[in-house]
Amino acid sequence: MSDALATYELTKHYGDAPALEPLSLQIPEGQHVALIGHNGSGKTTLLKMCAGLLEPSTGHITVFGHKAGSYPARASLSWLSDTPTFYDDLSLWEHLEYVARMHGVEDWQPRAEELLGELGLASRRDDLPVTFSRGLRQKAAISIGFVRPMHVLLVDEPFVGLDSSGKQALLSLFDQAASAGVTLVVATHELSFVERVGRLLALRDGALVYDGPPADADLDDLVQSG
Amino acid sequence: MTDSAPTVAPSIGIAALHDLRDHRKHRRMGDVEWFDLAYRVYIVAIFGADAFLWLSSLIGDDPLSAPSADEVLRNGPAVMGMVAVLVFMSGLRSGAQGGPLALETADVVHVMLAPVDRAHALRRPMVQRVRSVLFLGIALGALAGQLGAQRLPGSPGAWAAGGALYGVTLATLWAGGALLAHGVRLPLWAATTIGAVAIAWQGAALVWGIPGVADLDGGLALWGWRQRPIELLATAFAVGLLVAGIALAGRTSLEALNRRSALVSQLRFAVTMQDLRTVILLRRQLNHENTRRRPWVQLRRPGRWRVWRRGWYGLLRFPAVRLLRMGVTAVVSGVALGVMATGTTAALLVGMFALYLLGLEVLEPLSQEIDHNDRTDQLPIERGRLLLQHIAAPLAALVPFGLLAGGAAALTIAVTDGPPAPGAFAAVSILAVPVTLAGACGSIVSVVKDAPDPVSVANQEAYLPPEVAGFGTAIRTIWPLVVSTLGVLTTLVARAAHTAEPDDASAVIGGAVRGALAAALLLVTTLVWVQRRDRVRAWYRRFVDEGKSYTKQNWS
Repeated sequence: MSDALATYELTKHYGDAPALEPLSLQIPEGQHVALIGHNGSGKTTLLKMCAGLLEPSTGHITVFGHKAGSYPARASLSWLSDTPTFYDDLSLWEHLEYVARMHGVEDWQPRAEELLGELGLASRRDDLPVTFSRGLRQKAAISIGFVRPMHVLLVDEPFVGLDSSGKQALLSLFDQAASAGVTLVVATHELSFVERVGRLLALRDGALVYDGPPADADLDDLVQSG
Repeated sequence: MTDSAPTVAPSIGIAALHDLRDHRKHRRMGDVEWFDLAYRVYIVAIFGADAFLWLSSLIGDDPLSAPSADEVLRNGPAVMGMVAVLVFMSGLRSGAQGGPLALETADVVHVMLAPVDRAHALRRPMVQRVRSVLFLGIALGALAGQLGAQRLPGSPGAWAAGGALYGVTLATLWAGGALLAHGVRLPLWAATTIGAVAIAWQGAALVWGIPGVADLDGGLALWGWRQRPIELLATAFAVGLLVAGIALAGRTSLEALNRRSALVSQLRFAVTMQDLRTVILLRRQLNHENTRRRPWVQLRRPGRWRVWRRGWYGLLRFPAVRLLRMGVTAVVSGVALGVMATGTTAALLVGMFALYLLGLEVLEPLSQEIDHNDRTDQLPIERGRLLLQHIAAPLAALVPFGLLAGGAAALTIAVTDGPPAPGAFAAVSILAVPVTLAGACGSIVSVVKDAPDPVSVANQEAYLPPEVAGFGTAIRTIWPLVVSTLGVLTTLVARAAHTAEPDDASAVIGGAVRGALAAALLLVTTLVWVQRRDRVRAWYRRFVDEGKSYTKQNWS
């Protein structure tokens, strides 16, 4: 059985500035991982490469054995960015419809309604997400990320801008995904989230400095820059 | 748990994508203000027609003499082929830097990351992009053909059709080159090398009369006069490139799309808002043109002239590609002004525009100060004085480019048919630097006028009736170009002196000195404006406020 996510000697350079040093890691199916590190440590770069939004400088990434960004990889991987993006002329409900349908979900309405209810967006379904506040945009992006089927969920800084009810709703969604066997990788500065996962990855200046159980880690030290 | 990824039939995703796009298109069409759109078309047509008529009057309508016409027939394909080569190189470089497509950011995230066939998903935006480029090529080619018809043999209709064929071939060459370069992931250095080789080859064709790589393309530009079917091979080649580029649509880089999507949408907004500074900054980002981390020369000992040093800190961090572009722009301005000196007055426009662009590049330290006006407002120095000091280093940096432009002008005068006018080279050496600085005065005006105003735009326009507020906006946009034009017009003093006394070198030199003085006067006037601008505006505001309060007191 191939790993849900695997990287092989993965690097990324922006010009002559290295963003990620050679990184090889395997994340088995169903594992829950927290990815921490200081600002500029390479967390977003790593996640974007796994999602297929960035091309590695060297090395490669596979999602269930398929190249990141390939058709099967896109079918199985959901990416929640730290900067939500929306069409400026579609309502939230229309976003849910089209994203779900592009992922082959024809009977999407019940799931969409459930998500909007959990996230407190039911009354905003006909509004344009581009007009939302920061927190509401985050919630809207979460609903779009969860309306489609997935086997891997990559999340970048999901808690920024969320109120306490939003955070609880998101954590509940993570739990639901975990029950369904989804592999979860969450990049976050919220160190309290680390207690909920079984594996911790820490990056510092583009290099992996910790890979193991959260209980054994000195979190305050791991989030310091080099 | 399952160990197989979810599968989605490609047709399902594509069907949803088509529904999405159709839905958005219908909504956009429903939101269009047709009257507003018709008004914009009307304005563009009016200004376009005026510009065409003005260009037409510059070119004149006297038929070329037989020797001149023969020369056009002989060298025209090589010259117009050089244009084709430059266009092709531009397309290759665009593709190598991630172009030519730019999707909405939401499309990159929601569509390109969805399990849909990317080649199919990109087909529509690709067709739209190619279509707009081809339309532009046809329109510009047909207009240029019409201008050619004024002085060359052949009917206006034939020239318009021939020009359109030439334009669409070049547009296809650009689009095909860009798509192919992107699809095969052509490195930028390779795109530049291919283009440089082609330019060198075509340049050799121009100078030594050997067959050029793009002579067939260039020959299409003369189809209004004579037609050679073999030149259609150039069009076929361009079409072949385009087809190959479109076939590689599935290899489009998502990273490039993602990066360009945000920048291009900002760029379009900046163009709409006539925000030239933002357009320049975004173009640099799109072209990966980053400031050097280390300056070319490290300034060591701190000196007294802080603002002067600050200017050089910025100038010495210009990347090589920007310096090269400035050099090319200086050469273009020199060639254009050299051509103008030998009789083609219309070349003045090219020279003016080149110097305007050169000025915008070199005034980066001043632009940076204006970009960060919150810091400027906290400094214990009057803003006008500070901005004036920020201009010193850029003007000094312009001097070598002025000399380069002068060299190009001298070379142009030397290689044009017939002996150079007596005193011509001396005139060029006198005028080179002053005209370059004067031509950049429009750039100074353009940059400084965007500085936040003590009298805000909203307040200013409150004093103007609505009928002229829009006209004022147009004037503010054109005014810097007018100033640059005045700077370049100073070269005509020397030309006029030569026309009056063709065999007298001292007359030409005297004309050049007078022209240089006029250029210096324009520069000084511009600098005084920069320094006094805020004071004058504050005085104007006080004057208007006093008038309003007087009116209120006496007429209420």
